[in-house]
Amino acid sequence: MSTEPKVFVAGIGVLPFGKHVERSVTSLAVEAGLLALRDAGVAPREIGMGFFANVLASRLFGDSTLGQNVFASLGMNRIPVVNVENACTSGSSAFHLACMAIRAGECDLVLAIGAEKMCLPQMGLLSSGNTDPDTLLGLVTPASFALRARRHMQEFGTTAQQMAQVAVKNRKHAALNPQAQFREPITLEQVLNSPLIADPLTRLQSCPIADGAAAVLLCSEKVAKRLSCRIGVRASILVSGSYDNPQDLARWETDFRCAQQVYEKAGAGAADVDLVECHDAFTIAEIMHYEALGLCAPGEGGRFVESGAAALGGTTPVNVSGGLLSRGHPVAATGLAQIAEVTLQLREQAGARQVHGAKLGLAHCMGGDRAADTKSATIVILAT
Amino acid sequence: MTQSLASVVPGLYAHNEQGELELTGSFCAACQRYAYPRVEHCPECLQPTERKPVGGKGSIYSYTVIRTRPPFQLPEPYAVGYVDLAASGLRVFGLFHPEVIEQLRIGMPVALEEIPLGINNDGQPCLRPVFTPAVKSDEH
Ligand SMILES: [Zn+2]
Repeated sequence: MSTEPKVFVAGIGVLPFGKHVERSVTSLAVEAGLLALRDAGVAPREIGMGFFANVLASRLFGDSTLGQNVFASLGMNRIPVVNVENACTSGSSAFHLACMAIRAGECDLVLAIGAEKMCLPQMGLLSSGNTDPDTLLGLVTPASFALRARRHMQEFGTTAQQMAQVAVKNRKHAALNPQAQFREPITLEQVLNSPLIADPLTRLQSCPIADGAAAVLLCSEKVAKRLSCRIGVRASILVSGSYDNPQDLARWETDFRCAQQVYEKAGAGAADVDLVECHDAFTIAEIMHYEALGLCAPGEGGRFVESGAAALGGTTPVNVSGGLLSRGHPVAATGLAQIAEVTLQLREQAGARQVHGAKLGLAHCMGGDRAADTKSATIVILAT
Repeated sequence: MTQSLASVVPGLYAHNEQGELELTGSFCAACQRYAYPRVEHCPECLQPTERKPVGGKGSIYSYTVIRTRPPFQLPEPYAVGYVDLAASGLRVFGLFHPEVIEQLRIGMPVALEEIPLGINNDGQPCLRPVFTPAVKSDEH
């Protein structure tokens, strides 16, 4: 194992995801930050640096550099604050930067907060931006995943039923999570019979939007001893796409590459992973992430979910929080909420959805779309 | 009418000497590398590239029919996908002709056309390149 400085999770704070009509992005972010500070038992003046993740406030509200507002409201003026936008990985990228700040010895306590408010009438489908030729030719996010689904079905025999099982499983998990937005159980038939959005994907196989916020407070080994934190960051990896042409839509190279790097850095393998929170923006995505993360062989993702291996009680429970599919996806809050969920599980504080005896957990996120690849991918491995 | 409309992205495609439509990309002679959309500098060696057609004919790698509210006043539903271009080997994203969306299959040979379709970023009706089956497919 490397001798580089260790990083620990000192505190977490997550607001329930859903519609927060009356509240601003800043208000949601401040509450999540407050929860994380209280969870750690740390005062604002002890925090050395802040990262704030948000994607849509500039587009939807004309706001910019909201991070300074958020940290000032939490009594953290004067310290360095950086605003982070990295699509769906904005929150996990903020986490990654916070880890780097501690490993660099810059400070002992760094707070990462992610918040998004997107349940608004003017919120359309997310795309890569209106200057991208692909966007002008009609590329929307569900299509990117539908095109992968079609190839995965063609090459590996993955079925519509197997994909739908991801949605059924994650909803079953969400029933055990009071903070999930959608908790009513759904059946395979309901998932398959919901309206097609981009065939073969139906509406219930696509993650809903949400307002929400999440925060993770990280600390150095010195502070971890004082605060009795026992959840450590074994590895945090952030990569960008290769954008190689042609891209293999059935085997996501960037996903595999990110996983390989994180396992190498953590000195762990898929067999050591007790639970996974992954970026199930669409059902097919979760199936492909099983394969990239090595939970099953390439091409076996559909059969893996079908076997029950990814359900609570299975060999590697995936998205016991309900995932993006049931919690909803407040873009910049998602990555931090996933890390908070893994932390809760490793602390054995996850209540009815607890993965018993969990010692090592993985949070995986992906965001953006460029040249048939993802722009950004992050994986964090936490362990007791 | 077609003559008066502009392309959705100027310079995205052009007719070749045979009168066939080809996407316009770029080529790095040193690396023998095509790119589409066109890049000014080769990402491999950072030398300036030359503008070059990357092809208009190929076969469908993947496709989907989108049934959500379409952007840019595209038809509802509309179909998009990736096509492997024979000339350059590039896998490119594109629209399919609205009239053929029920016929699409992986591996189907297609060729590029331009038709009036939807609006551009300024809200003006415009031309868009679309892939359409290269041979009339009556077989099922
Ligand atoms: Zn070159």
